[in-house]
Amino acid sequence: MADDLYSTLGVARTAKAEDIVKAYRKLAKKLHPDLNPGDKAAEDKFKQVTAAYDILGDAEKRRRYDAGEIDASGQERPQQRYYREYAGGEDGARYRSTAGYEDLGGFSDLFGDLFGRGGGARGGAGGQRFAMRGQDAQYRLEIDFLEAVNGAKKRITLPDGGTLDVTIPAGVDEGQVMRLKGKGMPGVGGAEPGDALVEILVKPHPVFKREGDDIVVEVPITFDEAVLGGKVEVPTITGKVFATVPPGTNTGKTLRLKGRGIKRKNGKLGDELVKLTVVMPDRIDDDLKAFAEEWRDKHRYDPRRKLREQA
Amino acid sequence: MLTERDIVSRVQHVTVTRLRVWVRQGWIRPAAKEVQGFSEADMARAALIRDLEDKLGFDEDQVPVLLNLIDQIHGLRAELKTMLDALDDLPEEVRATVKMRITKRKPKSRR
Repeated sequence: MADDLYSTLGVARTAKAEDIVKAYRKLAKKLHPDLNPGDKAAEDKFKQVTAAYDILGDAEKRRRYDAGEIDASGQERPQQRYYREYAGGEDGARYRSTAGYEDLGGFSDLFGDLFGRGGGARGGAGGQRFAMRGQDAQYRLEIDFLEAVNGAKKRITLPDGGTLDVTIPAGVDEGQVMRLKGKGMPGVGGAEPGDALVEILVKPHPVFKREGDDIVVEVPITFDEAVLGGKVEVPTITGKVFATVPPGTNTGKTLRLKGRGIKRKNGKLGDELVKLTVVMPDRIDDDLKAFAEEWRDKHRYDPRRKLREQA
Repeated sequence: MLTERDIVSRVQHVTVTRLRVWVRQGWIRPAAKEVQGFSEADMARAALIRDLEDKLGFDEDQVPVLLNLIDQIHGLRAELKTMLDALDDLPEEVRATVKMRITKRKPKSRR
């Protein structure tokens, strides 16, 4: 490819049109293939010179060549497409950077976070936008037995001094984990925060125990209540009630108080199981001793017969 | 997608060696990563770097500074355009209010 058409023809850039014609004709005469049969080099040179003349000999083409609009072969030279033509478009988005004005966030409460890495409709900073949901935060909360049974509102004090309000639903059980949506660590890059996971620990109660949705209470009864039966005051999770102890009650007898247990999710209630224990008076006085001796002589019975037979 | 050869043949005075240096420096990040494929924007960027170095006479260590600033300007322009597009969607009286507020805030010395 000829580098410069003027040097190909051996003329100055400022040469007049007739000088170009003259120069071309002189060269052409010397190089024309028909005048130089078999001379490949001359043919090539002729083609170059002719190509140069095709352009420089034509006023309009010469102007365009001088202006750089066409190259030495007469091809349209593509105009330089400047980078700015692409920079604003999709193709240029990879290069656009918004790294430098994240501080815009300090300028506007509402709009500040729209710009920079955090937001924006289109990615800056090389098109890389980073967003990650916040981490879940794990907490443990110890509550009283009755708070677990009846529900409660508790406040957790966080290590950083903040607080977290937790509504304990009635009937929550030991080891149950409550998920508080969005109360975990903040998200990165506009992503949603994590959740707070609160594991519930229930302190044991001196009286009540829990078996599933039932409450179990051990209730001592007197010797005479065991023999004669009667109404006995029994604690429940909602207050005291009177339970009927049937005559002739043994230790280990269990009364079921319907609906006195823990509220299930479906709204039904568990029961309270009252385990009765016959308790002798602290001191066996002479009256009781005399009565038992007299009673034994007349009403002998054998509660261990089965035991003997089956052992 | 354009190849190295395409770029070199279409952007005058850019050689394969120069182009590879620019890619290695991260000044040009080929649109297609796996097979090195350049986009039209990559090509225009090559021409820009060439102009910076050849025509304007900046040194190699000055080029990344310029590119960084240019990229930031285009980033800013894109954000500004997004904002203006969003403002254009607003009802007429809201736009008028916004315009008034902006005018009020513009430093007097400007322009």
